[in-house]
Amino acid sequence: MNFKTSAALLVAASILSISAGAAYAQTELKVYISSQHQPDLWRQALDKYEASNPDVKVVIETGGNTSEAQAQYLNTVMTAKDSSLDVLILDIVRPAQFAAAGWTSPFTEVDMSAYLPAYADANTVDGKVIALPAFADAQFLYYRTDLLEKYNISPPSTWEDLRQAASVIKEQENNPDLQGVSFVGKAIEGANCTFLVPYWSQGQELVTDGKLTFDHDAAVNALSLWKGMIDDGTAKANIAEVATDDVRKDFQAGNAIFAVNWSYAWAQAQGPESAVAGKVGVVPVPRMEGGEPTTCLGGWEWSVSAYSTHQEEAHDLVKYLASPEVSKFMAINGALLPTYGDLYTDPEVTAAAPWFANAKAVVETAKPRPVTPRYNEVSEVIRTTVNAVMAGVSTPEEGADLIESRLSRILR
Amino acid sequence: MTMTGSTKSSRTIDGNVTPWWVRYFDPSDRALAVLLLAPAAVLLAMIIVYPVCRLIYTSFFNLSLTSGLPAEFVGFENFQFMLEDPVFWQTTGNTVLITFVTVPGALVVGLALALMANLPFRRQWPVRLSLLIPWALPLSFAGLIFAWFFHSEYGVVNDVLGRFGVEPIIWFNSPQWAMAAICLTIIWKTSSFMALIILAGLQTIPRSLYEAADVDGAGRIRQFFEITLPLLKPSIVVALIFRTITALQTFDIPYMMTNGGPGTSTATLAMYIHQNTVSFLDLGYGSALAVVMFALSMCVTAVYLRMIRTKG
Repeated sequence: MNFKTSAALLVAASILSISAGAAYAQTELKVYISSQHQPDLWRQALDKYEASNPDVKVVIETGGNTSEAQAQYLNTVMTAKDSSLDVLILDIVRPAQFAAAGWTSPFTEVDMSAYLPAYADANTVDGKVIALPAFADAQFLYYRTDLLEKYNISPPSTWEDLRQAASVIKEQENNPDLQGVSFVGKAIEGANCTFLVPYWSQGQELVTDGKLTFDHDAAVNALSLWKGMIDDGTAKANIAEVATDDVRKDFQAGNAIFAVNWSYAWAQAQGPESAVAGKVGVVPVPRMEGGEPTTCLGGWEWSVSAYSTHQEEAHDLVKYLASPEVSKFMAINGALLPTYGDLYTDPEVTAAAPWFANAKAVVETAKPRPVTPRYNEVSEVIRTTVNAVMAGVSTPEEGADLIESRLSRILR
Repeated sequence: MTMTGSTKSSRTIDGNVTPWWVRYFDPSDRALAVLLLAPAAVLLAMIIVYPVCRLIYTSFFNLSLTSGLPAEFVGFENFQFMLEDPVFWQTTGNTVLITFVTVPGALVVGLALALMANLPFRRQWPVRLSLLIPWALPLSFAGLIFAWFFHSEYGVVNDVLGRFGVEPIIWFNSPQWAMAAICLTIIWKTSSFMALIILAGLQTIPRSLYEAADVDGAGRIRQFFEITLPLLKPSIVVALIFRTITALQTFDIPYMMTNGGPGTSTATLAMYIHQNTVSFLDLGYGSALAVVMFALSMCVTAVYLRMIRTKG
């Protein structure tokens, strides 16, 4: 084939492809969903969108089954100003970082008051709407209804109650595998909540307006609470190895009376493979003695990449994904907590997950983790310190000192 | 496209046509050498010299991609901060410890494996294959597999120890046990590479030397120290250079086994660099740390190269 023929073919091919493009005029949007977030179910929601918007085709890219793995991947993609991703799912702790780095394009003319206030706040940075809520989440206390009924104990409202309940049940049950309480002690994102929930419960804030407002005594109390539970046998000795999903597995296998976990654990704990199906109760996370009830706010958000070449279409898609219609669909089919207040009492939703009716009050008391562009560093300091204290490498006092000195440098 | 017959060509003494451009450049041997080395030099400059220079340059800046601020020249501030940073000292200390434990460890185990593999087995391939497997396994897989071996509840190590009446050890709960587990894994993973290089060296030692030693009445042990070890020295040094540099860059195995835990007590310098650059996007400080690691690797290489030269 000589040059002229190939050139002619090339021209012909490009003309054909242009005319084909004109005939379909279809925009392809790429949506990034982490693989832990039921991409199959989101696919069903996207299929509905494609059906009513034939000019848009949506492709899912999955990756990163933990919040940290996902953040690392997106850090790389966004630093390279890669335009291949249009819509991104973000952990609730990320909007501040993404806004500061200029990685997302904000939303205008969106009524954030329709969402639960915590999510309206978490997605608004310096007056700009960075992302729209995908689903809500919070930490809850899971408990074994059968064991508590057997010993006539009511669900604990303070950690001291929990300790006593666990000690009575463990003694009577005489099962060496039975843990009093399971929680995250491994140095992962969830370990921040392990520290923050009892810290907040003492009426203290860690970061206020981007500045460190550290209360040393409250931090020592928070770390001592968990360390004390390891030392007296309420929690297992190797809790420093335990990640979020290990908490779920231990509880599901019937090896924990209480467990601190997110809403996702519900569906599996009540599922066919669970040893405790039908024996699961969910209540708010206990408070410190004399403290106030609080919990860690979770949930994920939809944002549009600043480097997307289909800004308008991507914003429209996100508005659909964050709509009441999709929130309800995901609540019924995926047991994901809704981001709209009135859906918690929607009869179709409560038929699928009865405890959602009581979950709204818990989500409303939940507090967001520190809002700062340098969240990754803040998180690393807290979670490695929690891990070191749980492993007995540092004392709670040393841990509190370390958090204070390292955070004051990051948040100066 | 041929230049034959071109008016610009001329004939050499033996009648061949010298292309015009050869006459034009008239390359001496020296110039030809430069010409031939140029492509490799350009490639090296692009993929090694430029990144290293860029790294050193960035290390003098305050450049954090999460801040949204432009890069700001700060001189030696990143290096000053490093001196006061306890995590830098801890991770560097861990890296040095891992190097001092696993390099000699892998050498001893690798030497033993190589000597075993060199024994006159009827079938050589099963022995050689089992030597190769740990080497062929990706580092992160090895880390993942051993993380399960050492798991306090489900791990095979505690199960075996339990059969001998040893209380289960929570390996990753204590800095000492976690470090021991990591070092054992690294030695397992890297000794086969040492063994491969040493085995190649062993096969270059002529049998006649051992036969002569037998005649002279030298025992097995004497033969090992008088013949085998001195003749293996060059292979051992090469193996040590590679092993030491990879030990200084240890990342995958502790990353998968403990992720630096408990706390930061088993984190290495490479992990700390990765954390600062990839997770925190603090490119200035991350580059400064990487400059230190680069300097460390250069020093080690220089020492070994000197050793080879004096040996030669």
